[in-house]
Amino acid sequence: MTKSLLALALLSSISFAGDPAPTIDISKLPQQSQIVDDVVVPVPSEIFAVLDKLGKPNWTAVLRAPKGVVKTCGNQPQDALYLGVIIAEGFIAVEAQNSEAVKDIGKSVLKLAEALSVRKEVTSRANAIIAAADSSDWQLVRRELDGALSEVRGAMKALGSENLAHLVSLGGWVRGTEALCEVVSKNYSKDGADLLRQHMLLSFFSNKLKNISKQKSLKHPLLPKLQAGLTGIVPLIGLAQDADISAKSVKEIGDITAGLVKAIQTK
Amino acid sequence: MKRSIFQLLAILALALTPVRATVDDALSYALEAATPYVKEGFTVREDWWGGDLPVGKAKAIVHQLFKGNQYWFWMGTEVAKAKITVHVYDADGNLCEVEAWSKGRFAGARVIPKKTGTYYIIVEVETSDRERTHWAMAYGFR
Repeated sequence: MTKSLLALALLSSISFAGDPAPTIDISKLPQQSQIVDDVVVPVPSEIFAVLDKLGKPNWTAVLRAPKGVVKTCGNQPQDALYLGVIIAEGFIAVEAQNSEAVKDIGKSVLKLAEALSVRKEVTSRANAIIAAADSSDWQLVRRELDGALSEVRGAMKALGSENLAHLVSLGGWVRGTEALCEVVSKNYSKDGADLLRQHMLLSFFSNKLKNISKQKSLKHPLLPKLQAGLTGIVPLIGLAQDADISAKSVKEIGDITAGLVKAIQTK
Repeated sequence: MKRSIFQLLAILALALTPVRATVDDALSYALEAATPYVKEGFTVREDWWGGDLPVGKAKAIVHQLFKGNQYWFWMGTEVAKAKITVHVYDADGNLCEVEAWSKGRFAGARVIPKKTGTYYIIVEVETSDRERTHWAMAYGFR
């Protein structure tokens, strides 16, 4: 289990002894609490659960299962992003209830984890994913995918590769967002489009990319592309809380994220 | 020189190990609080937060929630005599949980987001017999 520790902001002025305050002044939170150093990034299934309630998405059409076990890219930043994409694909494969795809994804997770020097930590999760897919235990596959993501990031942090861990999260977010846009574009609804309202996560990833780009050993042409993609998404999701996200914006976000996923998967 | 560095590292490792173990203990209590809700269909995320707090101080966790899901946040501490709380506020600073409870070393808050967006989870140690109390929080959704 990944240990997401101590990335929080101290609220020295607020105390809740007794009944909780009915309101708090968010503007008085310390600046660093607006974007915490280490956030829990939602797994795709958290968003897919809402889409399943809004309608019956054709997950099989959304799934882009790898043809067999994926090949590594030969550099760690791209492999980390690719690992995130593959794990997100696993969540889509679960929605599509495609056990063969899940098994290939489980093996691909191992392959990419090996390239990132964290194979040992993720082996039991990957094997559990494959076993659960064999028995079509989709709830268990979801849990093991979440666990694999968590173990990989935890292992990377333990190795001092926290920035690579963020790239895994970003890769997963990009593929998950692409899938979300594809589903919503096919059957637009305001509530579905509203799931894209993720300003805090966009800021978080954008800040992380800025830091990662400063690290010489992680320099990669993909990083400025990702930064540009995130910057392009910000105005499309609307900064006003009540502004609708239009079908056109959903499609544009889908195009941006599809382009990024393609770039991540291209050697 | 090398020897003294190793000695220092060994002392540091010894000093840090119990701290980590205690936060892990706090997590086990948070997950214990989650157990009944798993039976109700909540999926518990593997990621979690943790740390330590003095009595009367709160921390805020900024979190993305999605309208259409409902969420439980569960908090725990290994300190038997502590009382801890967790509450959820929306982006405008309004208390938005639909229920919350606090039973000594366990606490929980449920929220059904009216909007997709940023929410603030506020955790606090109300009473404790320790100077600083370790805590951990997990969450689940359905």
